[in-house]
Amino acid sequence: MLGSVAASFRPRFGLLADRDFVEVRLGGSGGQGVVLMGIILATAANHDGRCVVETESYGPEARGGYSRSDVIIAEAPIDYPKLDNADLLVALSQDSAQGYVKSLRRNGVLIYDSEIVKNPPAFAGATIGLPFSLWAKEETGRIQATNVVALGAVARITGVVSIQSIREAVSEAVPAGTTEVNLKALDRGLSVDPAEWETDQR
Amino acid sequence: MALEIERFLHTERLPHIWCPGCGLGIITAAFLRVVIDLGLERDKTVVVSGIGCSSRAANYLDLGTVHSIHGRALAVATGVKMARPDFTVIVFTGDGDGAAIGGNHLIHACRRNIDLTCILFNNSTYGMTGGQTSPTMAVGDRSTTARYGQVEPPFDLCRLAEAAGASFVARGTAAQARLIERLIKEGIQHQGFSFIEAVVPCPTEYGRRNALKSPLEMLDNERTRSVTQAQAVKLTQEELAGKIVTGVLHLDEDAPEFQQAYAASARAQAERAGARVQIDMTQKLPVGEQK
Amino acid sequence: MEQWHSHLLRERVDQSSLLIQGNRACALGALDAGVTFFAGYPITPSSEIMEAMAEELPRIGGVFVQMEDEIASICACIGASLTGKLAMTATSGPGFSLMQEALGYAIIIEAPLVVVNVMRVGPSTGRPTAPSQGDVMQARWGTHGDHPAIVLAASNVADMYRLTMAAVRFAQRFRTPVTVLADQLVGQMRESFSPELVGRYRLTSGDFDFTPGYIRPELAPEVRPPHILGLDEHPHVTGLFHDETGFPTNDPDESNEFLRELYNKVAHHREELCLYDIKNEGKGRVCIVAYGSCARTARAVWRLAEYEGLPVEVLHLYTLFPLPVEIIQQVARRVEFILIPELNLGQYAHEVRKMAEQWTTVIGMGKIDGTLFTPRELLDRIAELTGKYESV
Repeated sequence: MLGSVAASFRPRFGLLADRDFVEVRLGGSGGQGVVLMGIILATAANHDGRCVVETESYGPEARGGYSRSDVIIAEAPIDYPKLDNADLLVALSQDSAQGYVKSLRRNGVLIYDSEIVKNPPAFAGATIGLPFSLWAKEETGRIQATNVVALGAVARITGVVSIQSIREAVSEAVPAGTTEVNLKALDRGLSVDPAEWETDQR
Repeated sequence: MALEIERFLHTERLPHIWCPGCGLGIITAAFLRVVIDLGLERDKTVVVSGIGCSSRAANYLDLGTVHSIHGRALAVATGVKMARPDFTVIVFTGDGDGAAIGGNHLIHACRRNIDLTCILFNNSTYGMTGGQTSPTMAVGDRSTTARYGQVEPPFDLCRLAEAAGASFVARGTAAQARLIERLIKEGIQHQGFSFIEAVVPCPTEYGRRNALKSPLEMLDNERTRSVTQAQAVKLTQEELAGKIVTGVLHLDEDAPEFQQAYAASARAQAERAGARVQIDMTQKLPVGEQK
Repeated sequence: MEQWHSHLLRERVDQSSLLIQGNRACALGALDAGVTFFAGYPITPSSEIMEAMAEELPRIGGVFVQMEDEIASICACIGASLTGKLAMTATSGPGFSLMQEALGYAIIIEAPLVVVNVMRVGPSTGRPTAPSQGDVMQARWGTHGDHPAIVLAASNVADMYRLTMAAVRFAQRFRTPVTVLADQLVGQMRESFSPELVGRYRLTSGDFDFTPGYIRPELAPEVRPPHILGLDEHPHVTGLFHDETGFPTNDPDESNEFLRELYNKVAHHREELCLYDIKNEGKGRVCIVAYGSCARTARAVWRLAEYEGLPVEVLHLYTLFPLPVEIIQQVARRVEFILIPELNLGQYAHEVRKMAEQWTTVIGMGKIDGTLFTPRELLDRIAELTGKYESV
């Protein structure tokens, strides 16, 4: 196993922590930092000593348009690199929530930004809407930090990556000089109170 | 002198393919006199050429010679020069090779101001393929692909080179062997991109279709049409029409040279990255068992 | 570990594994193999290779030049190669098309060179951000005339690293350009990568050493020793047919000998050049022959087939050309079907059919919609084939 030589075991807790093969889809629009979000999540999973494949897809626009990142995390090397059915969908736009909900497994988890996705799609599994963009503004004064806030919440709620690894991955990925503000954003996401979302579960 | 330049010729490969009366030999001999005059090292002097009559010169020169593909001599030469900045790299090209198919490489080599010397043999025709229209052919001239007279206007290649950023631009003709020799010498000595247009006669493919019956007549025509830059400024536009302005037409000794600018920038980066060993990849590979 | 030349990798080498993009891994492989010259022109989806080279080469005394087009890029590489430098360029379909004439020049003057083509859907501008394997036959026969070709195909990020290294080695040993084919998926995906992982996928060629360090192999037998500009030599180099002095010849006998030598120096060394991996060897009724990103689907099928009770072998090809005739014919003799999934309309299947159809049924599966085959698509086809066979 790839992880055998990795750093010491990093505990993970959450709705998807016990899955050996996890497929994650992150969706939003161009400029929201969805691709960076995918890279950070994949880097974190790599730090956990697991195998990762990250692919992305986006429209030709640098801003606006659609943006998507798929991250597959597994205990063994990954052969088929494309997402089959998602265990987790994180939607930062109405279109991506609506469009990608079909790709979710029935026992998957849907997490969306409740400030942006005003009409969450019907989904039978765990459905969690949290105001990431609002928290980003409150905590850092910058709406651009929404993606990092969401990552914190994703790590806390699902356990697809460990808390330690996501902190390291954020520090490595963000531009120099913005580490502090981004870690602050991450911590806001990580501090999500189970009471804030468990009630949303059907 | 004639004997001396033979030191730099593959005499066993002579006679050359050029027609009697061709101007290419005059320029090639002038170039070799410069090689001797400047004392250029045989192993560190590389002539890169493309395809065409002028590019065939590479076949006869006893220097490092790269006979490349049509239009791309300047691109190949850029690779040689960047890999071995200590080399003197000269490009032999023609008006078809350098200004038509290779025109984009010409303007970008000028823009980079890389330390190459480009000698463009301009005979206003495609000699090797049988006298077709070239981009420097004058309006009204005839060729095998302009049977009723050329209707497109020609390039003024020196103005093109200057506008594109070449820091040494000069023109001479085969009728002025001493002038062309001086221009080539100054061009090689110049640090930066040197563009030298050598106007040469092609009696076989150009002259006989354009009422210039003999090689001598063609050379004479070039001589009488030539004016110096000092003379040219006194002429009106009408008077200047059909004239060949010769000499050093543009010189900028302060323009940054590309390879040096690259090396300076790279050195700064290397220092920032910590002391690194300069890679020497120029040794030969061990030779395995041969057949 | 000090041998990792690239700064990009060295700064992370203490980690057991890092997440890295395929295109970047390609650049690292080139640097670790000793490539010191890169000339290129930006094109999706290969640009990250040149971006990494632009960042790294100046720091290690190498040369990076962004040229005015792909023709100039490969020509500059040829110029550098003639001085003995290890040169590489990278591009995608439209740029690869532009490079074809110069590629032929590099072949005839025997200039070692690595060309990476990160394939996108063509023809023409096509679909720049979708994977394809449509340039396979172009990589073999793109330039005019009869000529040798060495073409490797990368299927994952580790391949991008090590096959680039292999390409550097082959280019020098055989003194010819080597093409590495990747595709948009393999080039732009990020994947876990570690030195350990590089050796994880089996290559058949036993003596392959992927230890980072400048690769300076011996010349292969039958390869003429080179003449390098400036090494106490002033050779003549020409794209015309030439004799061993380097000067042109029109002599029929010399021409014949010249081209055959050029061709055979590669054709006679298939054993060394053909890299592949085989799974479930000798246990299948169907063999999937796959390369590039399709080989990933094939590997997934190999795992699933066992579970579903389907008798499947997988032959994963890393070398497409020279054709791995021996291994394909070995497989053809023992299986009932060879199935070749490709992201094109059957380019490689035609090649396999030519050499295998006397023993087995060769079935091509083509896909050109910019998506990858799913394991289910292959499994269904296999079930159909084996089921149909039983009912006959």
